[in-house]
Amino acid sequence: MPKITYVSHDGRAATVEVPVGENVMHGALYNGVEGIAGECGGAPSCATCHCYIDEAWAATVGGPANDVEKELLEAAACEVKPTSRLSCQITVTDDLDGLIVHLPETQF
Amino acid sequence: MATESSEMVFVQDPANPQCPNLPKRAGPDQIPDHVPPELILDAGLITGAEYLQEPHDYMAAMHEKFPPVFYNVSPFGNSWILTKHEDCLHVLRNAETFRNLEAAPFPRDPNDYFFFIPQEIDPPHHRKYRNIVDPLFCPAGVAKLEGKIRQRAGDLIDQFAAKGECEFTTAFGRPLPVSVFLDIMGLPQDMLPTFVEWADIMIHSQDPAEVGMAFGKAIAYLKGAIAEKKANPDEGVISLIANASIDGRPLSDKEVFGFVCFLWIGGLDTVYATLNNIWLWLARNPDRVQEIIDRPGDMHKIVEELLRRYSVTFSSRYVTHDIELRGVRMKAGDRVMTCLPAANFDPDVFPDPLKVDFDRPRKTILAFTVGVHSCMGGHLARLELRVALEEWLKRIPRFSVKPGTEIAYKPGGVVGPAAVPLVW
Repeated sequence: MPKITYVSHDGRAATVEVPVGENVMHGALYNGVEGIAGECGGAPSCATCHCYIDEAWAATVGGPANDVEKELLEAAACEVKPTSRLSCQITVTDDLDGLIVHLPETQF
Repeated sequence: MATESSEMVFVQDPANPQCPNLPKRAGPDQIPDHVPPELILDAGLITGAEYLQEPHDYMAAMHEKFPPVFYNVSPFGNSWILTKHEDCLHVLRNAETFRNLEAAPFPRDPNDYFFFIPQEIDPPHHRKYRNIVDPLFCPAGVAKLEGKIRQRAGDLIDQFAAKGECEFTTAFGRPLPVSVFLDIMGLPQDMLPTFVEWADIMIHSQDPAEVGMAFGKAIAYLKGAIAEKKANPDEGVISLIANASIDGRPLSDKEVFGFVCFLWIGGLDTVYATLNNIWLWLARNPDRVQEIIDRPGDMHKIVEELLRRYSVTFSSRYVTHDIELRGVRMKAGDRVMTCLPAANFDPDVFPDPLKVDFDRPRKTILAFTVGVHSCMGGHLARLELRVALEEWLKRIPRFSVKPGTEIAYKPGGVVGPAAVPLVW
């Protein structure tokens, strides 16, 4: 199962296994990793699962999946960077084994 | 006036539920001392004559008629009411300060108490229950149901399309979501009329004895259904919950019951009311119907905007320690109601709020609340609404309210018209 590492804004890292086909937001919620709210559940209709893809992974993961994600990201509580994504829109694949995402200080 | 600070202590053990015995305040004699007299009002929500004329217009006008935070006094319960989008988000996102206890207004035996799960469970336990069902109710989970929903919607419409008329709420608004829900739960379709009757009394009757009786019948039925699913597991949600574990232990009987009972209540009335409100609007706005037909690629934003315009319910919390909100002092044990439809009409966030505008900039809508307790059925509701619109407009693209009809709204915690007679 692919391993994903979530790094909190103050540098604490948690590595969990997330099944292929799941999304990166659920990977955090289902494993008790804090820092992602995901309050709309992946509709997507909020921007509370905002994360920054680690530079080393940015090219593999790619940018926003569609215009809706782009638009919603504008409403994110923390600074939006070129590596910003909504984690509910990133589907886990074998290619993402080892993925590192960084979490913002707050989602609200 | 009492000035000492207060704190509400209630330690929750989800497996062995105890009644929290929180203060019940109702009527003008039970207003706490810290409430400023100028903020004591009766908003006339839920049952007021003016509200029942057109509840959504009424709630939009609350931004002009009432202060953004005020203390509502009613025989059904006194509570702070919040109408600002920002304030509602704050309350719903701070689950430690604003706890979701005694959330559902249905009478429970204090000596045989159960929690409505996951609604009344605090973090961090709350997430463990959501994890059991979220895979089924997440967007990818409900997407698997689309074909079945489409088929049920089409079959229902085909039954009356040639007649040129129907009473929408009974012909489509009710049977579509309830039959889908029965499929998901693993309950027999022939229970549909019985469930509808029980739920209707529980949510809309103003007679506590009648509510208690209907709830009692539902409890007995659901307990039987749970026992059956434990003995003969299937693919449905009742079976999933009845046989689930958290923290390495099976759920207790009370956890299973509280979980199933909550889903049962949640699944019966809200999408129904949403469809009824929206079809009434469609019937009165043929040009907008044409706009929806002309924009098949924009169904997702069309659905979001309609859910904003026609949110159907409210969400309340208990304050756990002394706080100030928009300059108003609240104390532990106070009840706070987020008036979700009013928040969705906050002109600071949604200019010209009553206008249905599919191209509004995206903002957080409160139809399903936000925060940890945001509605787990939200994705299913969105899907049902989208499929219902697509299937209906394919078959009946032009329709209107039957001439001479007077629309009456139902009192109660879910907002919608009692009947919507349509002709085409």
